[in-house]
Amino acid sequence: MIAESISNFFADSWLLWVLLSIGSLLWWSGRDSQYFNYVFNRYLLALMTLLIVSGIVFSLMEVLPGDCAEKYIAYKNTQGETITQADIDAERARMGLDQPLAVRWARWVTDLTLRGDLGFSCAKRQSVNLALGDRFWMSFMFCMAGLVFSYLIAVPFGILSAFTINKTWTDKNPQHSKTERIINSIGLSCQKVLDLVLRIVSYLGLALPNFLLALTIILLYVFAGESMPTGLYSDEWRNVPWFGADGFSWGKLDDFLGHIWLPIFVIGWSATALQLQTVRALVVDESNKLYVDAARARGVDGVALWAGYPVRHSISPLFNSVGFDFQRVFNDLPIVAIVIGLTDAAALLIEALAMTNDQELAAGILFLVALVVISMNFFTDVVLAAIDPRVRKSVLGN
Amino acid sequence: MNALLARFGRKSKPQNDDSYYTAGQFALIKARFKRKTSGVVAAWILGTLVLMGFFAPFFSPVDPTIRGADADYRRGAPQALYFWDDNGFSLRPFTYTYTKEKPKLDLSALAGGNLNALDALTSGGALKASSQNKFKVDKEQRRYIQFFVKGWEYSLIDLSVGGLDLDIRWDRHLFGVEQGQIHLMGTDEDGKDVFSRTLHAIWVTISIAIVALIVKLLTSLLVGGVSGYFGGRVDAILMSVTEAVRVIPAIPIYLACAVALSQMDLSPIQRYFAIAVVIGALDFAALGRRLRTHILTERNQDYVLAAQLCGSGTGRIIWRHLIPSFTSYIIVDTLINFPYVILAETSLSFLGLGLTEPVNSLGVLLQKAQDPDIQQNMIWQFFPVAVFVFLIMACVFVGDALRDAADPYSEKK
Repeated sequence: MIAESISNFFADSWLLWVLLSIGSLLWWSGRDSQYFNYVFNRYLLALMTLLIVSGIVFSLMEVLPGDCAEKYIAYKNTQGETITQADIDAERARMGLDQPLAVRWARWVTDLTLRGDLGFSCAKRQSVNLALGDRFWMSFMFCMAGLVFSYLIAVPFGILSAFTINKTWTDKNPQHSKTERIINSIGLSCQKVLDLVLRIVSYLGLALPNFLLALTIILLYVFAGESMPTGLYSDEWRNVPWFGADGFSWGKLDDFLGHIWLPIFVIGWSATALQLQTVRALVVDESNKLYVDAARARGVDGVALWAGYPVRHSISPLFNSVGFDFQRVFNDLPIVAIVIGLTDAAALLIEALAMTNDQELAAGILFLVALVVISMNFFTDVVLAAIDPRVRKSVLGN
Repeated sequence: MNALLARFGRKSKPQNDDSYYTAGQFALIKARFKRKTSGVVAAWILGTLVLMGFFAPFFSPVDPTIRGADADYRRGAPQALYFWDDNGFSLRPFTYTYTKEKPKLDLSALAGGNLNALDALTSGGALKASSQNKFKVDKEQRRYIQFFVKGWEYSLIDLSVGGLDLDIRWDRHLFGVEQGQIHLMGTDEDGKDVFSRTLHAIWVTISIAIVALIVKLLTSLLVGGVSGYFGGRVDAILMSVTEAVRVIPAIPIYLACAVALSQMDLSPIQRYFAIAVVIGALDFAALGRRLRTHILTERNQDYVLAAQLCGSGTGRIIWRHLIPSFTSYIIVDTLINFPYVILAETSLSFLGLGLTEPVNSLGVLLQKAQDPDIQQNMIWQFFPVAVFVFLIMACVFVGDALRDAADPYSEKK
């Protein structure tokens, strides 16, 4: 009896204990280590930001019209029951919706911190956790894949772009011989043209609206007479389990990969432009610093100079912004998801916001995205403080 | 343009050292900007687009509203301009006369309730959308382009403020034809001219972006300025809120606000401003943070102390001393953000929560492009998409060149 109530108590408040134990572990380590003290501070800061985020998200959802009680009663109305305002008010009181915003928010946050319970979705008539299920992870993987795609393109080309930024089209160095000047001019012009083309292509990803890009690709498939790469699987593989009787079904994997490239490509391409601009600006900033001149004076040149000095130092701010990049990529996902017919959290978010006005579901998804961004920021801060001496010096002070 | 000319032979003037060292920040940025060929070309394209958008009524031959809709040329293809054809050459460009063929539907067979005749009619292809687009081109009847033609009256520049009536109205248009209307880029389902609609849409979209950026600037200045100047607890609270706002994805928040706006009973103009304000006001986080860092370093400078000793108030120090010290940075950052604000407006319109028909905005016109009917039968309605792509690309390239030009260290080598 007692054992049962204790296990119930822990099952109802497991998340709080996890958070508390991480915190106390960090605090314990931080007593005599300046680094862990910093980590502990970041941890507290992250939790506080999460609290503020939950407040903002929760109060923002108040602006959506209607509430749970109205929807519930409206549903009953369609079933043929006649209802009055008194019924709605009674339902509201039963759900606790008549209480002030602060009280409801406090209850939501308490449930969240105790059990990781994101509330109840009234349009779906189930708990938000259940309604989301694996869908949030799907969105997360899409965003991460899109992000990786954009990094793969933006980082090398951004560096190349920064490399050519202050170069002229022609070599006018009077110390070079005439043939040398012509050869150098051709090389420089090629670099400039390549830079221009790459920038145009990557900015096209920004300029072509996502939904149009996705639609165009789908249309091309239609004109070619092939089946559209919408959704996640084609019909024949949808109900096939991943691990069938004869081992892992490679056909399903093939089908899956044949479908998911489209959203990843679309959101990745549109994220590339901003990444490229960032990488370019970072590398240019670094390459104008004195230590690069010093290295050049020591005789370091060419690729060794660029790779060893400005590029290496511009990686850490880039790494630091992964969290916000994720947030920016997630921005684009809902519209793409609608066009392609994905059923992930981003599509749910749009549905909850614009169609069903499902406050708690939308708040839950937004909160989860913010949670991912904040944890990424926490993680990158901590890692950078550990490995980058410049960051360590600025945050730890020695 | 100078940069282009300089490329092709003309030697640039030797730099006068005195003027270089005494030049102001803006003169330096301008001089550096002129050396970026891609930026200069993009700036010309952007300038042309903005100018054409601002004076859209003058440049567009047809009234873009339903008043100017051409009832005889619905779903019509672009009317090409020619200089010569089989009938000879003409220096003045001309277009042909397009008339709609009367659908040759014999409805008399249906009179007796004959269902077989109805089946034959529907399967015969006469009702297909693509055949509805067919127009007869009369090559014998040329319609010549006229310049500065009289057309519908419009307001060129409206400077009316308060009681002052300074609405300059005109009725001349850059070009047009004598009989009927010319549809350079075809017409839509209602017969509205796509070319004219697009021109009008450019300025609507750009003005939304301008309003949004001004609102964004004001909120960022408020948050950054207050937080940086006061520091301490005010700074800590404001920055943690900023951090939290920065973490939440922006478009869903715009969406929530737009849904709330759509519940209110707003006139199109109010709705338009409300959307611009929402987009601007929620975007203060990044710029606000950077301004705060800047003010934190600047507020301990001697000139601030001097201003304080002279008895300046807090507001005066922030507005008159601190903010002018990074005006160029603010301007450049604002311009770089231009395309992103335009994109935010478009994605709201795509979901039907931004501006809606019959307002001409690029978002509204782009939204139409997702209609399968338009994709298959009216491909010319993709013209706004091309303009949009050009606009965004020009913005981004100008932003890139400006960023490079505003970097004070790029001169060094």
